[in-house]
Amino acid sequence: MSDTPVDNSKRTWMIASGCAGAAGGIAAAVPFVSSMMPSERAKAAGAAVEADISGLKPGEKLTVEWRGKPVWIVRRTPEQLAALPKLDPQLADPLSLRKPGETPDYAKNGWRSRKPEIFVAVGICTHLGCSPSDKFTPGPQPSLPNDWQGGFFCPCHGSTFDMAGRVYKNVPAPDNLEVPPYMFLSDSKLLIGEDKKA
Amino acid sequence: MKNIKKLAFGLILVLGLATGAQAASGGGIAWDKAPGKTTDLASLQNGAKIFVNYCLNCHSAAFMRYNRLTDIGLTEKQIKDNLLFTTDKVGETMKAAIDPKQAKEWFGANPPDLTLIARSRAGSGGSGADYLYTYMRTFYRDDSKTTGWNNLAFPNIAMPHVLWELQGERQPVFEEKEEHGHVVKVLKKWEQITPGTMTPLQYDQAVGDLVNYLQWMGEPAQNTRVRVGVWVLLFLGLLSFLTWRLNAAYWKDIK
Amino acid sequence: MADFKEISPNASAGEKLTNWFENRFPTAFYEYKKHMSEYYAPKNFNVWYVFGALSMLVLVIQIVTGIFLVMHYKPDAALAFASVEYIMRDVPWGWLIRYMHSTGASAFFLVVYLHMFRGLMYGSYRKPRELVWLFGCAIFLVLMAEAFMGYLLPWGQMSYWGAQVIVNLFSAIPFIGPDLAILIRGDFVVGDATLNRFFSFHVIAVPLVLLGLVVAHLLALHDVGSNNPDGIEIKANKGPDGIPLDGIPFHPYYTVHDIFMVSVFLMVFSAIVFFAPEVGGYFLEYNNFIPADPFQTPLHIAPVWYFTPFYSMLRAVTGEMMYVFIACVVAGAAFGVIKGKLSALMKGVIVVGAAAVVAMMLAIDAKFWGVVAMGGGVVILFFLPWLDNSPVKSIRYRPSWHKVMLAIFVVNFVVLGYLGILPPSVIGGRVAQLGTLFYFGFFLLMPWWSTIGEPKPVPDRVTFTAH
Repeated sequence: MSDTPVDNSKRTWMIASGCAGAAGGIAAAVPFVSSMMPSERAKAAGAAVEADISGLKPGEKLTVEWRGKPVWIVRRTPEQLAALPKLDPQLADPLSLRKPGETPDYAKNGWRSRKPEIFVAVGICTHLGCSPSDKFTPGPQPSLPNDWQGGFFCPCHGSTFDMAGRVYKNVPAPDNLEVPPYMFLSDSKLLIGEDKKA
Repeated sequence: MKNIKKLAFGLILVLGLATGAQAASGGGIAWDKAPGKTTDLASLQNGAKIFVNYCLNCHSAAFMRYNRLTDIGLTEKQIKDNLLFTTDKVGETMKAAIDPKQAKEWFGANPPDLTLIARSRAGSGGSGADYLYTYMRTFYRDDSKTTGWNNLAFPNIAMPHVLWELQGERQPVFEEKEEHGHVVKVLKKWEQITPGTMTPLQYDQAVGDLVNYLQWMGEPAQNTRVRVGVWVLLFLGLLSFLTWRLNAAYWKDIK
Repeated sequence: MADFKEISPNASAGEKLTNWFENRFPTAFYEYKKHMSEYYAPKNFNVWYVFGALSMLVLVIQIVTGIFLVMHYKPDAALAFASVEYIMRDVPWGWLIRYMHSTGASAFFLVVYLHMFRGLMYGSYRKPRELVWLFGCAIFLVLMAEAFMGYLLPWGQMSYWGAQVIVNLFSAIPFIGPDLAILIRGDFVVGDATLNRFFSFHVIAVPLVLLGLVVAHLLALHDVGSNNPDGIEIKANKGPDGIPLDGIPFHPYYTVHDIFMVSVFLMVFSAIVFFAPEVGGYFLEYNNFIPADPFQTPLHIAPVWYFTPFYSMLRAVTGEMMYVFIACVVAGAAFGVIKGKLSALMKGVIVVGAAAVVAMMLAIDAKFWGVVAMGGGVVILFFLPWLDNSPVKSIRYRPSWHKVMLAIFVVNFVVLGYLGILPPSVIGGRVAQLGTLFYFGFFLLMPWWSTIGEPKPVPDRVTFTAH
């Protein structure tokens, strides 16, 4: 048809510029998207928190704030610890297998804690985020079963948890209470938020 | 044509006066050039040490987090062990040890926050580091002042010579000179009245490190900024070349 | 669905998709043709013609960086300064977004001034493009407001005192001034109330107005077609297909050309952002790294560089200068009465009007007239299409001495700008007064000087050398 040779230069340079431009565009987007990640201030505010449990008596609960969330520290009584294994049939996930990430390795045991007497958990119901109330006294009470052994009751939608934060069957909440990373700095001091050696 | 000549003359005159005026801004002496670069990690680390030990007692650096010092080559453990004076959390900001109300009572003015001191004091006389380098090295005894000290770079300042033990006490010696038809006092030399724990050379070096640190602290991202900038400019150079050829490929059709 | 365009079932998926859209959103296709692939722009655009596109680019940069800054900035007098340092230090890449925004603000004015200068050179404001010019002047005015309000937000010493001084200017207006200043501030001095409303204006109200004006500016331009360095109307020479002989489709020729120029611009922009964001204190003023202190005015307040020419004019209007202005008004009125070919009624109006103006100039403070001069410096631009009486549009074919006039105008503008940065001085004040007179004389006397001299013959077709 035509004697003039086909000119591919436009296409060549278009592709070259297009690729470079696209690469540049993505590179330019990185700082903007990154700026939405937690800032140094947010990270500093989320740093680990120390808790002094020297004054915590058996059956008492202490609450500290970590990353804006309530973290409970309970010194459980021998009776409360003894009741735990018997509750397995009533619990939805007695071995904390459903969400393995929410229970650290040192809490994958019958007491869901490093030391049996000291229980640490994030005090937020795994249903929709309300903070459950303490119901440590065993026995029949309104909204609780007659054979209640002590634990936590969420007022928002009625979910119940035992003294190891394990969720009962047939309640709205699907999972056990989250156990945060924590470690003992000494027998009377806990560090909530970190579990590696500093 | 007359208008142009008039304007040109006026312009040159104004420029000449302007440069003359700016050389002696703020009523203090001309600034020496601060040594040191903000890429010299050893200098910055020494400067950080001096800052935390001598300055943080009265001045805060409220926008500077301790853990940002990892940018100048320190580990969090080194920061915690050696530099954490006013808090125990490495993620916290550098607050002063003093109570601001007490400081205002004692000094007449609240010692200003130093995070941005180097950026805010820059001027036509030089960088902020230049000013601070001159300032920290031109204190002299002056019994007419409440603090007992005065300063050549910032006359009548309310701050005492915090580093006097290192530099010792000095007096400036002036001589009279003729400049532009009238007599001016010009600094001839410094007389050492009592010695400091450092030699003048050591002191100058220490102050150099301190102001280097202050220059860095004013904008901790500055070294990253320059590094990234080099890559960005290289990339844009390439992109400009490609789009230039792309443009040429289309425009060769236009007659 | 009778108006739908049918497409053969054998067409490719891409063609079918295009057809689907074209049936439901034909406007998009029509507008694309009208403004891009079938908008015929003169082929002889030179580098001066890139600044319009660059203005749009900088507007986009400011909006995008602004959006991300607002995620972290706190519009509260007690928190604002710290929030900017938070962005600089604690927000990942926050320093880059901040510098892009501060550099973009100055770049916006640089690019817009060069864009306006192109208009001045080539007569782009002349018939039939007067409305394009008016929208453009409105954009310039709105941009100045946007920059002024944005500058308060970091709440540094310059931010605070610059705002205090400029808002106090409004109090110089007779009768309504002081109350107007209180209404603007929301308080008796610049404070948290002022900061909050300036934030609202800067972030949403004024940008919306700016976007609307930019759209109007472009639509009005595309309706009449672009001017060119030769000042020739390319629509006067159309081919048999109705397309101007000297016209080429904007897309792909100018899209590809603008992409190249954008690349070069970004190199300059990035060099500043990454290597010298403060630009010696001109783009980020040193004093603004000190938190606002209502009890301590800095030794030397100067507006940011892009306002300084007009600031110079403000400072130049002293009591003495008023007598010069009065003399000018009287001379102008006398000239109009004696030389003007006007009816007796009109001459009477001129005399009465001049007398009224002179009376006001004597009665009202020079401070107010300084504000008038500063505002007048911007407003006079709106009148340019009706001040220029030259038979020829482009500087290329004007008498040579017009080039000299324009050159002096530029030098004068730059000198006024430089003087505005310096502290006041006796000689500087005199030069600024001369400069102010020249600035206004350039425009007010243009109906006369633009007709002086022999223009060169204007060609029929544009001058173009193939690249």
